[in-house]
Amino acid sequence: MRDRIQEALKHSKADYTEIRIEDKETTRVVFRGKELEAANANIDKGGIVRCLIKDKGWGVATFNDLDDLLTKVDQAYQCAQVGSVPEPIELASVEPVEQVMTVEMKRDFRDVSLAEKKALAERYNQVIRGHDGRIIDSQAAYMDSFTHLTLANSEGTYIEQEKPSVVVASFAVARDGDNVQSAHESLSSTQGYEYVLDKDELARKSAQKAVELLDAKPVKAGQYTVVADQMLAGVFIHEAFGHLSEADFVYENPKAREMMTMGRRFGKGLLNVYDDGSIPNLRGTTLYDDEGTPARRNWLIQDGVLVGRLHSRQTAAKMGEDASGNARAINYRFAPIVRMTNTAIDNGTTSFEEMIKDIQLGIYACDAYGGQTQLENFSFSSGYAYMIRDGKIAEMVKDVILAGNLFTTLENIDAIGNDFKWLNTGGGCGKGSQFPLPVGMGSPHIRIQNVVIGGE
Amino acid sequence: MDILTQLKKQAEQVEVLDLRNEKTSVEYEANQLKTCTVAETRGTAVRVIRKGRLGFAASTDSQALDKLSANALESAAYGDEAPFSFPAQQPAQSVQTYDPAVAELPIPRLVEIGREILDLILPVEAQARVNISLERSLVSADIRNHTGLEVSFQTSPLSIGVEIDLIQGDDVLILYDQLGTTVWDKDYKDFARRLVEKLKMARTVTTIQPGRMPVLFAPNGVLALALPLSVGLNGKEVYKGTSPMIGKAGEKLFDDKVTIVDDGTLDGKFASASYDDEGMPHRRNALVEGGVLKGFIYDLKTAAQSGTASTGNASRGLFNPPEPSFTNFLIQPGQTALKDILKGIDHGIVVEDLLGIGQGNIISGAFSNPLALAFKVEKGEIVGRVKDLSIAGNVYELLKDVGAVSRETQWVYNTFNAPYVLIPEMNVAGKS
Repeated sequence: MRDRIQEALKHSKADYTEIRIEDKETTRVVFRGKELEAANANIDKGGIVRCLIKDKGWGVATFNDLDDLLTKVDQAYQCAQVGSVPEPIELASVEPVEQVMTVEMKRDFRDVSLAEKKALAERYNQVIRGHDGRIIDSQAAYMDSFTHLTLANSEGTYIEQEKPSVVVASFAVARDGDNVQSAHESLSSTQGYEYVLDKDELARKSAQKAVELLDAKPVKAGQYTVVADQMLAGVFIHEAFGHLSEADFVYENPKAREMMTMGRRFGKGLLNVYDDGSIPNLRGTTLYDDEGTPARRNWLIQDGVLVGRLHSRQTAAKMGEDASGNARAINYRFAPIVRMTNTAIDNGTTSFEEMIKDIQLGIYACDAYGGQTQLENFSFSSGYAYMIRDGKIAEMVKDVILAGNLFTTLENIDAIGNDFKWLNTGGGCGKGSQFPLPVGMGSPHIRIQNVVIGGE
Repeated sequence: MDILTQLKKQAEQVEVLDLRNEKTSVEYEANQLKTCTVAETRGTAVRVIRKGRLGFAASTDSQALDKLSANALESAAYGDEAPFSFPAQQPAQSVQTYDPAVAELPIPRLVEIGREILDLILPVEAQARVNISLERSLVSADIRNHTGLEVSFQTSPLSIGVEIDLIQGDDVLILYDQLGTTVWDKDYKDFARRLVEKLKMARTVTTIQPGRMPVLFAPNGVLALALPLSVGLNGKEVYKGTSPMIGKAGEKLFDDKVTIVDDGTLDGKFASASYDDEGMPHRRNALVEGGVLKGFIYDLKTAAQSGTASTGNASRGLFNPPEPSFTNFLIQPGQTALKDILKGIDHGIVVEDLLGIGQGNIISGAFSNPLALAFKVEKGEIVGRVKDLSIAGNVYELLKDVGAVSRETQWVYNTFNAPYVLIPEMNVAGKS
C-alpha cells in the first residue's frame, strides 16, 4: 500500500497533496431495557485525497474503493481547479515525518470474544435495572474500535498510527407517574479491555442519580453563585471557550479576531487553560494530527490572559503563527478542520470545602447534559445539582440550565479547586457535520459568581 | 457468490442492504469559494435471523464479504430472539425522489448558485460573512431479503445551507436557513430571500420588559415545541415506557388546532421514498388530529414488540440496524393568516430561533432555552430585534392552549414543515 500511496502522490499536479487511508473495526454491544439491542461488528475501510492549488483552493475526493488512487488524485485535483480564492492559500511549514507506530494493549479487546463483551454489558444493564423499582428503562453499552491510520503527503510525510478505543456507557431512566428523569455515565480508555471491567459502580451511579432526581424540585430561576464539578467545568471550558480558540473561527473574520486578541484579559489571574494532544492515553490524544503535525501543549489562557490558539496548517500560515497539531477529522469521509484534543482548566489551590464555606445561597452543579454555544453566548444543562445553603451542600435540584456570556462568566470565576482530574468519558465533540470526535476534558472544581440560571 | 444466496444456506431469514452514495459539494467560507469535494461511498449491511435470533453486521470493504457474513452470523449467535420476520414484497405508492436535473447538476452550476445567493445578501449587508454549503447527491438503496423482496430506490437530494454572521461591536447576529429537495426547485432562492428579509428586520435592535406575554413561534422556533413530541410519538419510547403519551391514544392531549402528521410519500421531499429502509411501504400517518392522539410510529421490530403493525418508519444508516424514525414531520397549517395573528398581538415576541434545542430532559416535554433570534411585536407590528431573553416551559402544557396556528407553513431543516404557532401567554425571562 505504501508504494501505491507514494506513486499516487508523485502523480499529483497539485501544489500540495495528502492521502489518508483508514481501516477500522468496531464492536458494539447495547442492552436497552430487558433486551439486547445490538451485538455486532462493523468494518469501515476507505480513504481521502486532498489537493491544494494555492491560488485556487482545495479539492477533496473520498472513497471506499482503494484500488485506483491515481484516479482519486485526479478527481481531487479537478475539484481544486474550481476554486477562486482572492489570495493564495499557504500552509505553515511542518517538518516531514516518517514514522510507523504500533500500540500495545495490556489486554487486547480484539482478542476478547463477543460472548464475553455481551456478558459484560449485560451485567452492567442488570445493575441499572436491579437498582430500584422505579427504573423503567436502561441502556448499557460496550463499544470498542481499533483504527489503523495511514497519512502521507507530497512533502515526504508518511505516518502509520494505531488508535484503540474502548468505552462503556450507562443510561438510566426512572419514572414516578408523569415525572420521568434520566442520568448517564460513561468511561473510556485507549489502552485495553481491562479498563472497562468491574465498573458496576458506574452503572449503579447512573441508576441512583435518575431515581434521586425524581424527588428533586426544579431550581428556582435567578442569579446564583455556582460551584461546578470537574465534569461541568471541563465541558464548559471546552464548549464555551475552547471552540472560540479554534483559529478557523477567527482567521478570516476581523471582528472575531478583535474579540480574540492575544493579551486580552479573559479572567482573573488564577485562570489557566491549555489544550494538549501529547499526554499519553487520554481520549483526545493524537500524537500526530491529520496533517502530520506533532501534538504539543498549547497554552490558551495564562494568568487570566489570552496567550494562544489552535491551528491547522492553513489557519497558522494565514495568521503568521505555528501549526499546533489540531487539524483533525473524525474519519476518512472528511477533510481535517481545527479541533481540540485534550482541553483543561489547570489545577488551582482552593479546596472544595473552602470554596463553598462562605456561600449563603448557591448551586453545586454537576455533570453536563448537553449544551450549545453561539459565539460568546452559551447554554448548558447540568446533569444534576444541589443547592448550597449556609456553606453546606443541601437538597438536590433539577433542570439547572446555565446561560450567559462567556467573557462575563470567565471573569466571574473567583476560585479554582486543587482537585484537578481528567474526565475519561466516552462522548465526543461535534463541529460542522463532523461528530463524534474523541476529545479529552479536564478541570478541578471551579466557583463562578452571578450565574444566570434559567427556569420557569 | 452473492451474499444473500450464501447466507440463505446458513440462516432462516436474511436481509441485505446495499447503499451507494455519490456526493458532490461546494463550500463557500467567508464569502469565498474554498473547497470542492466528491465522495463515492458504498457499503453493505446484513441482518440475519438464525435459530430465531437476530444478527447484524455492516462493512464498506467489498474485499471482505466473507468476514461480513461471519460477523453477521456471530452476531446472531449472541443476539436476542427476533420477534418479527422480514417482509414479503408489498405494493407501494410511487413517490418522486429522483430528478436528473438535480443528480446531474454540474459543479460549475453549484458554484454559480452559491454566487447568486451571495449576490442577494452582500448588496444588502456588505459586512456579512456568509458561509454556503451546496451539496447534491445520488443515493441508491437496494434492499433484498430471503422472501424474494427486492426494493430499490434512487434519490437525488440537493441541499443548500446558508449561514450569515454579522458581528458589530458586541452585537453578534447569526442567521441560518436551508433548502432541501430531491427534485429541481425553480424557486431555489426563496429561502435565501427570506433570510435577507430577516437580516433587514434584525438591524433595528430594541428592548422589551421581561414578563408574561404572547409568544409567536416562527416555523424554525416551532422545532423547540415539536422535538419533544417527535420523541414521545416514537413507538420505541412507548414500548420502553418512557413516552409521556403512553397509553393515551384516543385522548385529547392538545388544543383543537394541533394536528401532526408523518408523511414519507410527498414528492420531492428529503425524507420521502416509496419504501422505508426495511422495504415496507411509506405512508401518511396521522399522529395527532385536532388535539387527539391517534397513534405512534413503528418499524418492524418495535411494532412486533408492541403487538401492532409497522407504520413504514424504519430508518437506518449503514452501520446501524433500523430504528423507528420520522420521515417528513408536519405540523398542519391552521385557519389564520400570519398577518392577522400578528395584528392580534399588542405586546409580545416572535421566536425565530433558540439556542440549545434538544438539550435537557427532552422526553419529559420540558425545555428552557435562550433565544438566539427574536423580534418584538408592538400593536401588531414587528418593531425590532430583542436580545438576551430566554423562555422555558413544558410543551405538553403549552400546547393545551394554542392561540392561533397560521395558514402559512415553511419547510425547515429539510424534513420539518411547520406553521407559526401562537402561545397566548408564557414567561419571557431576561434582564429587566
